Amino acid sequence: MTNQTRAGRLPGLAADPTALVDETQVARQESRGIFEAVWDLLTSMRFSLVVTLGMAGLGVLGALIIQVPAGVEADASAKLDWLAGVRPRFGGWTDVMDRLQLFNVFNSIWFRGLTAFLTISLIACMVQRAPGLWRTATKPRITVGDRFFAHARERDSIVVRGDAADLTTRTVAVLRRHHYRVVAEDDGAVNLYADRFRWAPFGSLIGHLAIVVILAGVIVGSLFGFREDAFVIAEGSTVAVPSGEGLSLELISFEDAYYTTTGAPSDYASELILYQNGQEVARHTARVNDPLRFGDLSFFQSFYGPAALISVTSADGATELFSDGVALAWEAKSDGRSVGTFTIPAEDLTVWLVGTLGTGDTLVRPGQIRVEAYRASTGDPIEQASIDQGVASTVAGLSFTFGREIQFSGLSVARDPGTLIVWLGSILLIAGFTIGFSFPHRRLWARLVVRPDGVGTLAVATPGRASHDVDRAFTNLVTDLRAACAGPSAS
Amino acid sequence: MEKMSYYAFVAAILATGLALILYLGYAVSGLRAARMQTAGNGFGMRGGTLGLVIEPRTATFGRYGSILGWLAFAFLSAWLVFRTLATGHGPFANMYEFSVAFSWGILGAYYWFERSYHQRILGLLALPIALAMMVYAFANPAPNEPLVPALQNNLLLTVHVAVAIVAYGSFSIAFVAAFLFLFQQRPVERAFALGFTVALIALVVGAIQSALLVGALAAVVAGTLAGVLVYAVDGRRGLAAIDTSGGSWGLPRPVVLDEIGYKAVVIGFPFLAATIVLGALWAEVAWGRYWAWDPKETASLVTWLIYATYLHARVIRGWTGSRAAILLQVGFGATLMTYFGNYFFGGLHSYAGLG
Ligand code: HEM
Repeated sequence: MTNQTRAGRLPGLAADPTALVDETQVARQESRGIFEAVWDLLTSMRFSLVVTLGMAGLGVLGALIIQVPAGVEADASAKLDWLAGVRPRFGGWTDVMDRLQLFNVFNSIWFRGLTAFLTISLIACMVQRAPGLWRTATKPRITVGDRFFAHARERDSIVVRGDAADLTTRTVAVLRRHHYRVVAEDDGAVNLYADRFRWAPFGSLIGHLAIVVILAGVIVGSLFGFREDAFVIAEGSTVAVPSGEGLSLELISFEDAYYTTTGAPSDYASELILYQNGQEVARHTARVNDPLRFGDLSFFQSFYGPAALISVTSADGATELFSDGVALAWEAKSDGRSVGTFTIPAEDLTVWLVGTLGTGDTLVRPGQIRVEAYRASTGDPIEQASIDQGVASTVAGLSFTFGREIQFSGLSVARDPGTLIVWLGSILLIAGFTIGFSFPHRRLWARLVVRPDGVGTLAVATPGRASHDVDRAFTNLVTDLRAACAGPSAS
Repeated sequence: MEKMSYYAFVAAILATGLALILYLGYAVSGLRAARMQTAGNGFGMRGGTLGLVIEPRTATFGRYGSILGWLAFAFLSAWLVFRTLATGHGPFANMYEFSVAFSWGILGAYYWFERSYHQRILGLLALPIALAMMVYAFANPAPNEPLVPALQNNLLLTVHVAVAIVAYGSFSIAFVAAFLFLFQQRPVERAFALGFTVALIALVVGAIQSALLVGALAAVVAGTLAGVLVYAVDGRRGLAAIDTSGGSWGLPRPVVLDEIGYKAVVIGFPFLAATIVLGALWAEVAWGRYWAWDPKETASLVTWLIYATYLHARVIRGWTGSRAAILLQVGFGATLMTYFGNYFFGGLHSYAGLG
């Protein structure tokens, strides 16, 4: 920290009152151990600047390079498929880039490492900074040396006449009128310290720590959250919610509506009923931008597609083995047909349903569905057939009926207990930095010296980098001080 | 209403164009005035310790330029009102609406700073950016179409773009201030400022024309060329000896530009944070996930991080001045990339289907 200028400090000016804060650091520099070295690195703004730029650089890579979809990274075969898909674009670099985790930048060791470092660094910086801010706010130095009045960026000296006590009262009154708080100290001369917004620098401190709060929220979400992005229900079906708690969700109906003018979609709506242990606990028509919320669990409208109403009975029709809507939510890689699946455990059967591609499709004609039956335990195919709608047809020794085509709704189910923490952190961040920026701590020192003959000087100075508004405010203040202290008592 | 908004838009383009011509006249006469003065003395009167140029002799051009610019701003405001009435939602539905709103933000931010700093030269660079945005919008008109489901969150999205516009407008001014700052430094910095700007233009134009790679190549070539050229010319003329603390060529003094850049970021930084948070809020309501590392989200976070480094750079010895100004230029580059995200990341990002 010693190699930095601080806002509010006048470099090379011993009399600068704000230079006080740095003395402890000088002392620390002299006895450098490993702990001190680490601490210096953590609290170095220069280093954190480079780290932040590094994160920005990784972000650019992550935005430009295609990233593996969530879930694929963990699944080795899906990952290989995915890599094969991008290989034509990246050629021989594909494996190198994969090794460097460039296809998964935001979960990479690089990104996580930098984030972790920045988090620790943020905490360290603020721990280091807080006491100084506290001291500046509560125990400001009131008397400063002459050199400060001689060299400060904004300074002025006013010739005054009158009695010291009276002049002090006038000066204080002017400062108060300019919304300054004033503290006085007498050492033969009258020393005044005045400031505004002394708590505002804590806004910037809170803004920094808010970043840590947000990251904490993200971690809470990833540790304790639950998420299922492909929760699929066919119309009329009820499906158990995989989050535990004995919840199940029924889709009464799904509607997709379109604008007659443009043909663009206007609405996707899933009429849902949520049951807990068989009891209805919530009912809502979920739309995009209007999820079904139950406690901390939410159901978001995400996608939709065709489904088939299927019933299966024993060949003689006596026992019903299956009767439900089946979502054709997957897409066959080879030909893009919609496919769906269900099982009949009692018969050791896995059934795949394949939808039609529409007119011109000879394998599955419109109005038909294809039934492919497999032995569930071995995966051996048993029989495949395209069956007509509304007609009981025998496949694999059972009677299949394709009732009619319906729709399914695809929902995202999410519980993220970290979300609230993230919003809290976001509010703190915006509010904190806004306060820090809007109300910079303004400080001002004045020294009043009156000679026995009643003539004296009032020196006024304010530290810090010159800026347009500080300049203007200071000029106005000095004008008012001059008017208040130079005039009346002279006559 | 749609007709009215169109007329207001065309009027705004014309007014901005005319204002720009007047600012150009203002700058040229300022340059001449600066030449006639003895070196180092600058021109006009200076007030306060900062030495803001209050009113140089060549103010007439500038004053009329400003009036026209204000007029353009008023027309754009009218456009905003008419368009919102016509569509029933804020200007967030397509790039046309967003771009006109962006130029509104640039003009607004510029006049905000002109009022307190009186540096009309900034307008000479800020207005072209606003005008370019308007021309882009003019070339890519979007009919008033009803909203697809994901965008049917009128209040949240309107606030989201409104906040974004303030941030982007401020960052444009910071960029302009940084450019003028660097332009008055050593030849290296001047070459960088020009090269970077030329490269940025080439890149954005390339991306918009769906030729990102060509654009990138052109950016490197043109940027390098512009930089080298300026450097070579400067070197020969020996302009290296200019006073880097006083305003050169009738330009605002670097201290003032530094302060304007900082003030602009001080506004833009929290507004960009709010933009990102509101975007996250929308994503949570619509998809149940506040952050998904979508390229546009990522780009906005990167932009925010760059401006955070700028705010730090400004108080680190060795990083103040030119380096901070360079960060402002880079930050604006990131802003544009975020803004035109669809062009930059669209071709590379594919959405994986289910299964
Ligand atoms: C991504 C993380 C960070 C962000 C977004 C950030 C943002 C900011 C902002 C906006 C300011 C200006 C506040 C103001 O002037 O009121 C600031 C100032 C500051 N930051 Fe950070 N910061 C980050 C990380 C850090 C770290 C890691 C450190 C410690 C090494 C640090 C130390 C400081 C200090 C000491 C100041 C005060 C500078 C001054 O004297 O004006 N920041 N930061």
